Amino acid sequence: MSGAQGSSRGAQRLGEVVDRNRTITFTFNGKKYKGLEGDTIISALTANGVKIVSRSWKYHRRRGVMSGNYHDPNCHFQVNDEPNVRGAHRRLEEGMVVSTQNVSPSLKFDIGAVNQKLSRFLTAGFYYKTFIKPERLWPTYEKVLQRFAGGGKVAATGHHVPADKRYAHPDVLVAGGGPSGMSAALSAADAGSNVLLVEEEYELGGFLRWGTADELAVAQSLREKVAAHPKITTLTNAVVAGRYDQNWVSVIERGLPVVMESLIKVRTATLVAAPGLIERPYVFEGNDLPGVMLSTAVLRLVNLYAVKPGERAVVFTGNDSGIAAAEALRGIGVDVVQVVDARHGGGLVRATSSRGVLSGVELSDGSKVLCDLLVVAAGWTAPTTLLNLSGNHPVFDEAGARFVPGPDLDDTVFATGGLVGDGTIDEILAHGAAVGRQASERATNGSVTTVAPAFSPDPHLPLFFGTTKGIVDFSEDVSSKDLLTAAHEGYNSVELLKRYTTATMGPAQGKLETINTVAVLASANGESIEETGTTVWRPPYVPITLGALAGRSYEPVRYSPMQAWHESHGGINIVAGQWMRPEHYGDAAKEVSTVRSGVGIIDVTPLGKFELKGTDVTKLLNLVYVNKWSKLEVGAVRYGVMCGEDGVIFDDGVTGHLSEDRYFMSTTSSGAAGVYAHLESWLQTGFPEWDVTITNVTSAYASINIAGPQSRELLSKLVSDVDLSNEAFPYMNLRTGTIAGVPGCHMWRIGFTGELSFEIHVPAGFGAYVWETLMEHGADFGITPFGLEAQRIMRLEKGHFIVGQDTDGVTQGFSAGIDWLIKLDKDDFIGKPELQWQHDSGAGFRLVGIHPNDPKQVPTEASQIVIDGIIQGRITSSRFSPTLNRSICLGLVVPALAVAGTVVPIRLPNGTIIQGTVMEHHASYDHEGAKLRG
Amino acid sequence: MSRNKPVKYSALGLFKRGLSGKEWPRVWRDVDLKKTYDVVIIGAGVHGLSTAYYLAKNHGVKNVAVVDRAYVGGGGSGRNTAILRSNYLTPEGVRFYDRSVDLYRHLAADLNFNVMFAPRGHLTLAHNDGALRTMRWRAEVNKVQGIDSEVIGPEEIKKLVPYMDVSDDTRYPILGALYHPPGGIIRHDAVNWGYARAADAMGVEIHQKTEVLGINTAGGKVTGVRTNRGDVSAPIVINCTAGWATLIADMAGVKLPIITHPLQAAVTEPVQMFLSSVVVSGSLHVYVSQTDRGELVFGASTDPYAAYSMRSSLEFTEELAGHVLELMPSISKMRVLRQWSGLCDITPDFSPIMGFTEVEGFLVDVGWGTYGFKAGPASGEAMAQLAATNKTPEIISAFDLARFEEGRLASERGAAAVGH
Amino acid sequence: MILIPCPNCGPRNSSEFTYEGENKERPNAATVTKAQWRNYLYLKNNPLGWTTETWYHSSGCKKFLVAERHTMTNEIRSTKALGQQGGAS
Repeated sequence: MSGAQGSSRGAQRLGEVVDRNRTITFTFNGKKYKGLEGDTIISALTANGVKIVSRSWKYHRRRGVMSGNYHDPNCHFQVNDEPNVRGAHRRLEEGMVVSTQNVSPSLKFDIGAVNQKLSRFLTAGFYYKTFIKPERLWPTYEKVLQRFAGGGKVAATGHHVPADKRYAHPDVLVAGGGPSGMSAALSAADAGSNVLLVEEEYELGGFLRWGTADELAVAQSLREKVAAHPKITTLTNAVVAGRYDQNWVSVIERGLPVVMESLIKVRTATLVAAPGLIERPYVFEGNDLPGVMLSTAVLRLVNLYAVKPGERAVVFTGNDSGIAAAEALRGIGVDVVQVVDARHGGGLVRATSSRGVLSGVELSDGSKVLCDLLVVAAGWTAPTTLLNLSGNHPVFDEAGARFVPGPDLDDTVFATGGLVGDGTIDEILAHGAAVGRQASERATNGSVTTVAPAFSPDPHLPLFFGTTKGIVDFSEDVSSKDLLTAAHEGYNSVELLKRYTTATMGPAQGKLETINTVAVLASANGESIEETGTTVWRPPYVPITLGALAGRSYEPVRYSPMQAWHESHGGINIVAGQWMRPEHYGDAAKEVSTVRSGVGIIDVTPLGKFELKGTDVTKLLNLVYVNKWSKLEVGAVRYGVMCGEDGVIFDDGVTGHLSEDRYFMSTTSSGAAGVYAHLESWLQTGFPEWDVTITNVTSAYASINIAGPQSRELLSKLVSDVDLSNEAFPYMNLRTGTIAGVPGCHMWRIGFTGELSFEIHVPAGFGAYVWETLMEHGADFGITPFGLEAQRIMRLEKGHFIVGQDTDGVTQGFSAGIDWLIKLDKDDFIGKPELQWQHDSGAGFRLVGIHPNDPKQVPTEASQIVIDGIIQGRITSSRFSPTLNRSICLGLVVPALAVAGTVVPIRLPNGTIIQGTVMEHHASYDHEGAKLRG
Repeated sequence: MSRNKPVKYSALGLFKRGLSGKEWPRVWRDVDLKKTYDVVIIGAGVHGLSTAYYLAKNHGVKNVAVVDRAYVGGGGSGRNTAILRSNYLTPEGVRFYDRSVDLYRHLAADLNFNVMFAPRGHLTLAHNDGALRTMRWRAEVNKVQGIDSEVIGPEEIKKLVPYMDVSDDTRYPILGALYHPPGGIIRHDAVNWGYARAADAMGVEIHQKTEVLGINTAGGKVTGVRTNRGDVSAPIVINCTAGWATLIADMAGVKLPIITHPLQAAVTEPVQMFLSSVVVSGSLHVYVSQTDRGELVFGASTDPYAAYSMRSSLEFTEELAGHVLELMPSISKMRVLRQWSGLCDITPDFSPIMGFTEVEGFLVDVGWGTYGFKAGPASGEAMAQLAATNKTPEIISAFDLARFEEGRLASERGAAAVGH
Repeated sequence: MILIPCPNCGPRNSSEFTYEGENKERPNAATVTKAQWRNYLYLKNNPLGWTTETWYHSSGCKKFLVAERHTMTNEIRSTKALGQQGGAS
């Protein structure tokens, strides 16, 4: 009976948090309801007499409010487009659309409930024992099982609104704003520490909030002191979600507009865990019926929201919380028909139902009592999560009937309040204050002198399960019978049992059910709870949205100073590592032919550029490059290849000699950061005595390659202080001068395209100006801008390899056809031994030029060369060459095939085999380099 | 103690026991540790258990103890993201993992234990032309080996994963993907338990909470192990301890080219099914699949520094979430429920080390990095054959320990980074 | 997040650093055997406990430093700067 039974809101309560003057309208499963401001979804539904709020995961049993806190597994709802909203925590908002998850077709009549009838066959892990044959049917069974999947729906479209993260650096972080937490915060702050106090609920006070008039007064007084203290920052509706290495702590701030919640990353000197206690359920038949509630759920509903959770109540208790709940119920006009106190020998056998909700209880004295509310107060769980995450192992405390922190606590982490023991309010406050001082001492001077007082003992009964079987894990629908069966089958350690039955694996993550799971297992094994041990709590303490974790993306995108020009002139972008650069301006083939016949310019700013200065630069160059650098004249440049110590090529580029002790090194675009770190590594860790300073000038210069037979004529128009003639400025040389009035530009006679070309490096601020000036003056020559694709075609025509495309993670130097470059007669260089051995053995693939026999066929890059079913090589680069009017390739092949004239079979992606011929040179265009030198 | 009387798992059996209330027999026995075995296997993960299973099943070697300092499947075998695939880069890798997928496909029937193998299809996204070229490379190598693997474009990706943002105005636009239909997911615990149960039924002993404290050798040969439950002698000892592999090998005086790095994973709260494929992005360092329970399971690359600590880190979930939302921006309201960590034994060439060491009888099945679970059945089958015949099976010949000293590294690192 | 005391910059989050791994002596390339060289390339001690390793403050001062770190607890008990770069001025 999920329908409303009229309002069950009682008379004003002393600690009431709802505003009776403000009504909020919302819908639940399509039906309109009214609540009050300050209500949670659950308090409003309860006030409206709604008892059945969800269906369980596996058996689709009717479920009502159980623990009444954030962790209540029965109170998950879809709210608008947000799945799995905690209805016992989330406050009502005007117009909220709330619905039940995991029901079909409706909460009232759920077809999945047929599983209840089958439950004796569907014991935990039943699916491991069936659907085994025939194998082909498993996907069908799987679809059926997937329909059990609980949880809400996620929208298929919509954007992530970035929630900005922030940082905090308090001296003391107090997790939990109950009496012990507030007391700890106040004393730490009084001792001079900056304190961040984080409370999960909407206001400070902890369990005092639903307590007696005296307790409310204590809470109010503490709240006022905290609010007035200048050294305490308080966050409510926020939660300490995790503690990581060296007190790196995640705090989630909830309830924010637009972004829902956001992440605060806290590095705190000390951490005080004061999360209080979580009331645990009791295992007996019918313990999951709507109408069976924990005492704290009742206390919250009655004392915070003035809601009557039933009309006729039985209270089963092993502690004073049950007594308090009974009093609260009487206070709001609920008929408490019997209080069954386990401390005085009372016992509960089972709860019985009528029409799916609680109708009565059967007690151990044989009596049966009719009721629509059963309040259970069996004991507590200490949520030791933050301590476990600090390396602490919980131990079982017999007297407290719960796991408590072990002795091996990190010396920057402290615990107080319910985690540590039970006590009077005064004892709790005193303990909190002492721990706050300790945390402050540790945070400031390092040594802890304060001694925390002990709590007076308050023994608890070991009330975990009764004489009948019931639900242990409400999130996962795992019963004590499931656990016993699994344990007897051999899944008899807490870790195996957890994995086999999925107990403690659901959304509550063990906060409600771990101790009962362990207790049932211990009974199955005939061991004590201590011997059985417990599982480790894993972060986060409460679930965190992906949105809050993601925050805003700070992955940089880099652009050259000419990017705006490219985009306004038809440049089509390509992502190249961090850089965005033009791939082409509409027609790459046309760009190629223009460069080959006239002139073109390409933006090569992303090239890595370093200035090296010092008397030992040549030593460094000799170390990191495979070739020799001692005799590089001032004004000359040289090509070099870098290998790792394993002889594998990792970068290439050109380095020029600017003046006596100054060099300018260029690297590949993607390799720049790696090369910089590599050079620094050798300088700092290997040869700190060398005089070399490296400055990364990649972004300090805009780089342009002017390529084509008319490039000299074009540049001549803009340069007057450097003689650009072939005699004065030959190939593989550099000059520094003024371009278009911009002084300090480096000009290099090199190029990747194979044409006469000048690579110019212009101070970045003038990049766009020089580019536009080149375009303007090049108009007479029919200049074209060209992009990465045209450059790739031309470099392939010229036979230049690209590191990382024509080489891979195991391509050693002699595999790339740079035998002429590698100088094994140098004393030493990085990777020399491996290259020597490769040279001697001839091992590894060889990079070769390949021309498909059919000039129109362009084999897709990565097409394999397969002979007798064995891969003997692959195409690493291929393009149709507009210059040669044929397809051209580079490929890595086994040495036996690396002989000019060899015909190799190339397997295209569609399986067709075409023939290609291994060429004498990598270059298909001007392999002598006459044009470059022209 | 007598052998376990095998009782067949079936729907009928479930039905009968449901009616009668009769309990199922123990999944494996709890027995005393003997003084002598023919083979001692260290590590009760999928590698150790499958090796024991195939030793008994294929070679009749049943006097075998699998010892583990914790519990069955407590290491990487119970902590991984249970993704299966065979679309590797090298021919030897492809062939080996394909054998594993093949064994996985029939494992439920073979073990009489439903391991829930679900070939949902596996997508490796490419966000730049270099990555796309590598995907093509893998596809072509796969096809030569007869593996179903192809490069597909954004429209096809969108059809397979409707929640994916394939627009081209994102930071890392999706240019294509390597699509591998036979790839999928499995229930990892079930694999571990299924192997343990089936091996036990043939006489293999599983010893949990049995920690190896030392390895005894004499004259260059292994003679047994020392444990917290006493010494055991055995002429063959197999190291299947993944992240702890070098610690065990050190006990035998064998040095391994392995570094232990934590690998983290995380799971969200369950939601209704919306993602059927396994999605991997190497550039974004993330992989994700949705379980039958409705949870998204996430993984990423290994932690950036060597460690034996299995504590989680916040930055892992931060980066993960950021990258997942790059791919599927609409799921930002899903919540991460739990994160955990396991240990990976990383080799220099991202390929395993299987076979003999310089200590006779001390065998290794290690170096499994982030791809150990996928390999479980094939490695068990091959290691069992190697242990039983004293010869290296051809299928693992490329993965020998000597390759490092001899400079014959496997080239899986050509496609390193995240390869799930 | 490990906090690494950089000798130049003070305590910084490990996310600012690049891990370079265990320190290893480079053999003399002129006389090295294959076994020695590949030991240098590939073999690590991989200890469970204290280890001495190099980190690079890549998003900071760009200096390399040597740290003693415990591989189980991630505690760092010392860091030291490497020798000064260059002989400049």
